[in-house]
Amino acid sequence: MTTYSTTLSVNGIPYSLAFDASRNLLSVIRNEVGLTGTKEGCDDCECGACMVLLDGHPVNSCSYLAAQATGKEITTVEGLSSGDELHPIQRQLLDAGGVQCGFCTPGMIMSTDALLRRTPEPTDEDIRIGLSGNLCRCTGYAKIMEAVKATAVELSGS
Amino acid sequence: MSAVEGGVGTASIRADAHGKVTGLARYPGDGVPLDALHAFTVFSNQPHARMLSLDVSAAEAAEGVVLVLTAADVPVNEYGLTKMDQPVLVGLGGTDRSAVPADVSRWEADHIAVVVAETPAQARNAASLIRVDWEQLPLVSTIEEARADSVLLHPEDGTNVYYELRIVKGDVDAGWDSADVVVEGTYELPHQEHAYLQVEAASAWIDPEGRVTVETSGQWTHEDREQIAHALDLPEDRVRVIYAAMGGAFGGKEDMSLQIVMALAAQKLRTMGISRRVHCRWSREESIVGHHKRHRATIHAKLGATKDGKITAVEADVWLDAGAYNYTSNKVLGNAHLSVAGAYEVPNARINSRAVYTSSVPGGAFRGFGGPQGAFAAETQMNKLAATLNMDPVELRRINMLRDGSEGITQTIMPAGVTLPQVIDACARKANTALPIATFASIASLPEPEGEVKRGRGFAAGFKNVGFSFGFPERCEAEIHLHGAADDDHPSEVEVFHSGAEVGQGTHQAIRQMAAEATGVPLDQVRGTFSDTAFTGDSGSASASRMTWMAGNSILGAAEEAEKAWREGQRPAIGKFRFTPPPTERLDPETGRGTPNFAYGYMAQAIDLSVDTGTGIIRVDRVVSTHDVGRAVNPQLVKGQVEGAVVQAHGYTLSEDLKVRDGRIANPRLSTYLIPGIGDVPEVVDSVILELADPLGPWGARGMAEMPYITYAPAVIAALHDATGVWFDQFPLTPSRVLAGLKSV
Ligand code: FES
Ligand code: FES
Repeated sequence: MTTYSTTLSVNGIPYSLAFDASRNLLSVIRNEVGLTGTKEGCDDCECGACMVLLDGHPVNSCSYLAAQATGKEITTVEGLSSGDELHPIQRQLLDAGGVQCGFCTPGMIMSTDALLRRTPEPTDEDIRIGLSGNLCRCTGYAKIMEAVKATAVELSGS
Repeated sequence: MSAVEGGVGTASIRADAHGKVTGLARYPGDGVPLDALHAFTVFSNQPHARMLSLDVSAAEAAEGVVLVLTAADVPVNEYGLTKMDQPVLVGLGGTDRSAVPADVSRWEADHIAVVVAETPAQARNAASLIRVDWEQLPLVSTIEEARADSVLLHPEDGTNVYYELRIVKGDVDAGWDSADVVVEGTYELPHQEHAYLQVEAASAWIDPEGRVTVETSGQWTHEDREQIAHALDLPEDRVRVIYAAMGGAFGGKEDMSLQIVMALAAQKLRTMGISRRVHCRWSREESIVGHHKRHRATIHAKLGATKDGKITAVEADVWLDAGAYNYTSNKVLGNAHLSVAGAYEVPNARINSRAVYTSSVPGGAFRGFGGPQGAFAAETQMNKLAATLNMDPVELRRINMLRDGSEGITQTIMPAGVTLPQVIDACARKANTALPIATFASIASLPEPEGEVKRGRGFAAGFKNVGFSFGFPERCEAEIHLHGAADDDHPSEVEVFHSGAEVGQGTHQAIRQMAAEATGVPLDQVRGTFSDTAFTGDSGSASASRMTWMAGNSILGAAEEAEKAWREGQRPAIGKFRFTPPPTERLDPETGRGTPNFAYGYMAQAIDLSVDTGTGIIRVDRVVSTHDVGRAVNPQLVKGQVEGAVVQAHGYTLSEDLKVRDGRIANPRLSTYLIPGIGDVPEVVDSVILELADPLGPWGARGMAEMPYITYAPAVIAALHDATGVWFDQFPLTPSRVLAGLKSV
């Protein structure tokens, strides 16, 4: 067991942390930083519930070593809303009814954010590819799809 | 639309969604205190074996270990939702207060110990130091082997065929004599894994009142409490169960997972003078291995009709693989039994349905509760009959369908409000919008596309009961507080107390809206306290499409009581109510006669698909899913249930292929057990929602969350036949199965 000391920047805030070098980013975010919006659904890159952004790129935090995130900007679902102001994808998910149990929701939101940064005007196929790593067992995806499309329209102003 | 702002009929945004999109919602496993202890549940990994010795001394001595629980620590070592047939911990020694032999592991996920340690890693590590000697016992792998009874899994029952239901209606021989055509088939239905995104997790502690407290996810707080109290030998009021936000259930959290063992750990820690919380979370693999599945089933069915399409007789033999323990198999069997003849007038019938123990994963509750298995056989038989008679499948249903006043398969009149005729018509009409409406062939085959891709259309219809059946003492409690000043005419604020489990379906929002409607207070002034046995009364389970129906009726009663107290000047005015629906009956053991249910919901689906005959890949182009929901309390939530159920059924029908080999699940991962992703789902799901009041439903509402699931598989099978001319009596329709089926003709 090797303890690794580092500073991780999560949602713009630096955290000085010491953790076992083998720990994954998900467990450090949840247990050391204390932000539990990021979920664990499989611990093996299968479900996308643990999706966070590293310098804007979507990453399954369950399968990423926390130590490797040093020097990168980590964004979790808690970092998207500012105060009471929801991010458009959060609001659109509420409006569309795209949230049921909500366990997939943080991961869906992070993947959508990354997708829309890359592809501001996505086709349906772009959305399917962008969210292909995020499983949802409740909604059947239709209302999530609707919310992503509405967000794209809102953000790109078209 | 409701006169009350945010009342019944409003597509309001669910109050819990804000926390779910911002990450603040707390699920079991979130916000575990830093000083919490961590538990690891040790599975036997033995599908059938007798324990000869157990040595936990090395585990107890391992670093960080606080406690190792074994069978000897369980006051009453048995549990089970409808039959106490499973030891809490398999092992040696104990209090002899259970009739279930505890030294035999009958399932790979039977628990033999619970290790409590400072960290999850220490608990897991210590578990690997436990030494067990097993005497291997023979496996019972299939339904056929179980029927032979040469190896008994529960010798105390005397047979593996431990539960049986019968129907004998009319004169079956005469029915065959008057039949012009007979169709017959044997159907093999697969297991299905719930795959809720949030795996099982729980925390336990002793609350300030001294109650053993478990916070977890489940479907019925009071049932969890009852089973914990039984195993720990405590009065029920010494146990408290709380549900946090829940990441899905679908029937998979109907039975116990961590509840009893975590309560036991907290209780034991108390005796050791340790007041720290204890927490446990299963891995995905533990979840898939460690909880029940939709039942695997074999159904043989025979259907006779005149050349005009009038049903003359039905025979069916239903076999459900209950696996190692009963769980809710007896209830699931009941639903398969009631639905295997379909939602039709059947003059003559003989139906035998049986659940058998095997050395496999237990079968249990899963959206539809046996309805999907029964309906699969019933509807596939009807579609085969339509093809044999060269008759429009919709027309065939119209000739035979249940109507108001019809006698059901259990030889009693169906509860009033049979709206199947309207549902079937609405579905056929909607399905045809893209095609010219033919008077006869309302579900005509689609035009052929070019090349290897073939297109087809299929139809299925059915029903599903609302609530628990067969004489179960159904009930649901609600409490309402009306707030306001002494001289106010109307309350300004409402508090509703309810145990209805929010598994993701939106029941808390429906409860809030119904409380608003019942009290006339706008939704934004309604507060809810939910799912904590210290504060909320027994609601019954969030299952069997019952919660909106039962909760609504309980809220109506509580609101009326509160209203009375309000007029008498009480502030806050408090109303409590325990709703009980009309009683139901057990079926007669020989004839199956009886009134098993008090209400039903009706559905029909039409499905268009394309199949690539070169690759075997199926794409579902369109689903028209038609439902009479009585009254849509929240239309957006209703549609969400339809879309979600359709996609779950889509996975069941096309891709979800659980492999059980020698009693062990071979693919307990989401990378090897494939649930639909966003790219795998039907292209279009059209929900057609009818609101034809249920006479007993609150504001006319019916149950609806299971209904869109039930008819999907048979409608897909019919569409595939329409496309290819081949009937598939087995699914999931993986590409390799489809190709093999196409080659065989
Ligand atoms: S928890 Fe990381 S992908 Fe499932
Ligand atoms: S809302 Fe439950 S998994 Fe997506």
